[in-house]
Amino acid sequence: MSKTVLEVKNLESFYGPIMAIRGASLKVEKGQVVTVLGANGAGKSTLLKTISGIMDPEKGQVIFEGEEIQGKEPHSIVRRGIVHVPEGREVFPLLTVDENLSLGAYTRGDKAEIEKDREMVFEYFPILAERRGQEAGTLSGGQQQMLAIGRGLMLRPKIMLLDEPSLGLSPLLVQEIFAILKRLNTDEGVTMMLVEQNAKVALDLADMGYVMEIGRIVMDGTADRLMESEDIKAFYLGHQEVGARGERRWKRKKTWR
Amino acid sequence: MNIHNTDQIEINGVIVTADPSQRPALVDGCDTVPKLFAKRCVQMGDETAHREKDLGIWRAYSWKDYWTHAKWIGLGLRALGLERGEVVSILSEDRKEWLYADMGIQAVGGIASGVYTTDSASQLEYLLRDSDSRFLFVENDEQLDKFLEIEDRAPQVLKVIIFEKEGLHDLRHEKCVFIDDLYDTGRAFEAENHGFFEAEIEKSQPGDTGLLIYTSGTTGMPKGAMLSQENVIAAMVSGAHALPTLPGDEQLCFLPLCHILERDVSVYYPLAGKSVVNFAESPETVFDNLQEVSPSHFTAVPRVWEKIYSRVLVLAQEATPIGRLAFRMAVSAGLKRADYQLARKPVPPLVALHYMVWDFLVLRNLRRMLGMDRMRRGGTGAAPISPELIRWYWAIGVQLLEGYGMTENTGIASINLPDDNKLGTVGKAVPGFRVRIAGDGEIQTHGLNNFQGYWRNNEKTAETFTEDGWLRTGDVGKLDEDGFLTITGRLKDIIITAGGKNITPAEIESRLKFSHYVSDAVVIGDARKYLTCLIMIDQENVEKFAQDRKVPFSDFASLCAAQEVVDLIRKEVEAVNNDFARVEQIKDFRLINVLLTAEDEELTATMKLKRSFVEKKHAALIEEMY
Repeated sequence: MSKTVLEVKNLESFYGPIMAIRGASLKVEKGQVVTVLGANGAGKSTLLKTISGIMDPEKGQVIFEGEEIQGKEPHSIVRRGIVHVPEGREVFPLLTVDENLSLGAYTRGDKAEIEKDREMVFEYFPILAERRGQEAGTLSGGQQQMLAIGRGLMLRPKIMLLDEPSLGLSPLLVQEIFAILKRLNTDEGVTMMLVEQNAKVALDLADMGYVMEIGRIVMDGTADRLMESEDIKAFYLGHQEVGARGERRWKRKKTWR
Repeated sequence: MNIHNTDQIEINGVIVTADPSQRPALVDGCDTVPKLFAKRCVQMGDETAHREKDLGIWRAYSWKDYWTHAKWIGLGLRALGLERGEVVSILSEDRKEWLYADMGIQAVGGIASGVYTTDSASQLEYLLRDSDSRFLFVENDEQLDKFLEIEDRAPQVLKVIIFEKEGLHDLRHEKCVFIDDLYDTGRAFEAENHGFFEAEIEKSQPGDTGLLIYTSGTTGMPKGAMLSQENVIAAMVSGAHALPTLPGDEQLCFLPLCHILERDVSVYYPLAGKSVVNFAESPETVFDNLQEVSPSHFTAVPRVWEKIYSRVLVLAQEATPIGRLAFRMAVSAGLKRADYQLARKPVPPLVALHYMVWDFLVLRNLRRMLGMDRMRRGGTGAAPISPELIRWYWAIGVQLLEGYGMTENTGIASINLPDDNKLGTVGKAVPGFRVRIAGDGEIQTHGLNNFQGYWRNNEKTAETFTEDGWLRTGDVGKLDEDGFLTITGRLKDIIITAGGKNITPAEIESRLKFSHYVSDAVVIGDARKYLTCLIMIDQENVEKFAQDRKVPFSDFASLCAAQEVVDLIRKEVEAVNNDFARVEQIKDFRLINVLLTAEDEELTATMKLKRSFVEKKHAALIEEMY
């Protein structure tokens, strides 16, 4: 059994009166990629935000390396080695690529090591090296996503929280970025928690998966098991049974088994 | 219309048979539903009959709309080939067109048969074939697909009429038409055959079969119960005597109309009582719709009453300490008053005063929040309910009354009345209806509500009636000295253990279900050494328990597997065991770790576990316990 890096227990989070997470529990082990699938509004992003301290939970614990970190300030959570790559990139648009990367290493003091990591990022994302002096706001969507991931890597995180890295990218780019994530995981041993709507690519990359629906986890298991599940196929992988009319607008009601 | 020579009395402005056990059963001088429908629509004209939400706004539809659309449907069907005495099926969620179709079909002598929207294509096939349906109304593309899947196995269906066009604009199918097309056909037919519809209505006789209701069938294939015009009118007469409905009363329709309970309450009683029926947008929005409509009376199944109760408790727990205290004190003041009321004793002035204060401070706000501020009466039936729950509702100022009925006696056999109520019983037989207990404990009923028999199944019909013409309900129960009926279980569910002991599992099951953590339970033990049980937990309440105790879980299966949850349920089982003799105690149990919905075959459309199905499907779990 490998070591549990991150554990979430009975988490409940609210947006005002609305309960966005209704008691979620999950585990991420060292070196694993764990994916959380779900439709819009399932509470996936809220889950990541609660882990990284942007939101405070109402109940429950977030345990990182054996220590409870729920409700702590985001900066102190970053210092512990949790990096959140937010939805929609959120790079600093007026800073250059290089400056963005430097900010990723803001909490570190070991100059020489930082430069090594910068080289590593450029190795994984050669396009960023080409554009290192360019303002990040002028990069394409895919390049910004790479930069956001690269910026995250600059912390040498113990775990990376990735919020929909495939959002708004062309299928080809999605493939490229996920291939790089895969290499980062196998070669560098980066532990990741990946929130996705694109179930196919996420399950290809992940070891374990959880499915969320309106704030609850409705299914979990190894990525292989989820791939085989009829419900996942129907709801996320687009294997719709086709009705007699040859088209179908409605969805079968869900029971997760 | 014939005026019969019987004693009639007026109740809330409606003239009904004074002694409902006597023929003819009449409501405002009408002996059939179509005749009453015609009379009401003329009388009420532009007044509101129904309300439906359209893009977030409640819109009113008049009795005149009701009449014209039903007429066009009836005439349209006849124009397309429907004969008197033939069946038309309706597969739709509750909506006004459901009622238009129901009335239109019956007015031209057809028989209306409802199909649950949760039924699968193969179940639809069975129902269409068994009932020999000539026409099928479907709500939308989702329901239509079920028909298309099995259309070559139901060739007797002449046309399918679709309520909603959305997603079907390019549909080209010789058998499919949209409801607007049917209206046009009906309108055209009327232009050529003026007065035909009214003449058809006049032809209706009390002995005509008006509806076919397929029993949910916890065992075997569903059977179609035939209800005559007289049955339905008799149920209205009994209803008028027992359940006052006033003109202009607001109601909320949300349970499936294929079920006799909602059909009576939302279609036929409003026809007699001239109330307004509001259709809930969907089963998920019932609580919001309830608040918006604030009905005068509200009839629901126990699950709904339990859900509302749980919601209030959760809200109360999350209130400020002062709010929590106030809520507790208000409920306790309410309970004190309720105990006097339920014991049919006068409420002492001090208790009444105390209640008035708390009612003013807390309870009336609570009722307003729930949409129960105008509620004169709440009704519950179709499944057992905890007496404690009824007490709680009385405490917060909602008179919740338990009743009993089944499809075969048109949904109404006995009911508790606000001033004649015994907690834990299902009340006295409704006026005009008789109830007796047979030697083996079976409840038998007699009266004009008793159905005609099963559709094309004389064998089953014969089995259902005794030699002297009483209906065997299949339920086991007791009558007390005051005539209040208590139900203990189903006759065919009686378990005979290997030790030869007869046990009614429903008694144990309903006790288990009274726990907030147990949503349903099936006791097993036929020909076994001891009793065991499969339990379906209540997701919300058990989740809340797990959250409060910091028991980690991810999905439903892992919730069921958590030791703390198993221990919790064990405690509940043990508490129930204490009330039963040794042989009736549950020795072991397992949790069903799949979250079941109405689409799953293990549940009936009213969300009850199907015993035989559950036993088959979870045979492995059961074997583990022996």
